[in-house]
Amino acid sequence: MIPFSREEREWFLRNLAKGLLDYFSVAEPPVQVEDMLKQPPPIYDADFGVVNMYSNMWDATFARPPSRRGSIFVRIDLEQDERRFALAREMLSALITSKHGRALGLPDLLLPNLRESAEYFARHLLIPEALLDAYRVNGGKKRGFADRFQIPPQIAAVRWAD
Amino acid sequence: MSMQALNQLVARSIIDPNIVKSHAAGQIDDVIADFEFAPEVRKHLGGLEANSFAEFTLLAYRVVTAAEVPVRSIELPSPVEGLFGDQDQSDREHVA
Repeated sequence: MIPFSREEREWFLRNLAKGLLDYFSVAEPPVQVEDMLKQPPPIYDADFGVVNMYSNMWDATFARPPSRRGSIFVRIDLEQDERRFALAREMLSALITSKHGRALGLPDLLLPNLRESAEYFARHLLIPEALLDAYRVNGGKKRGFADRFQIPPQIAAVRWAD
Repeated sequence: MSMQALNQLVARSIIDPNIVKSHAAGQIDDVIADFEFAPEVRKHLGGLEANSFAEFTLLAYRVVTAAEVPVRSIELPSPVEGLFGDQDQSDREHVA
């Protein structure tokens, strides 16, 4: 893989998110990330799943048990906005490790900065540029932004400043 | 125009296996013909060599970014200085 900049990686991640948003014809917030995982594009049938877990160790993590469907194992007691962000974040691992993701070359591009990439991807999946622009044009303010998009306030603050 | 086309290509590639297959088969020209790239950019993209489709997109991003750099406007002298600034200066030296 050629050396690449953070700007280039983030540009790629934004378009990755846009590809999924286009596929699901997302037109308004909140983005239904859990529905995306439960009814994935056919190419990710073996990669997208959600399993509720009782855990105190992490909010969510993607795992691919041998010869079984990959799934995001998510803590059952998370607040709804935290759950949505955790699922969106872990979705990137599902994409990277999928057969199609490996064919695209995603591991070389995204694994070296996985956590940072996954959080950036999640912010842009849950708050697409077009919906953010529309929110602002319609008079939407920073206050109320997190509620409208159903995302954790600290994530909303980062995305608002992007 | 070309950046929008490239964005669409990358976005579609995440759910369309035919794009990566075409790239792997050395037939990326067939794919990019479906998108509205500027003709000179399209020609350049067809000649890119990359080890994966993701790498191809990064190289393509550089090509498109370079092609879309705005042309610098011509720098005219300030009206305050006048059109003959140098000559004016030399006239003043003659007077002195």
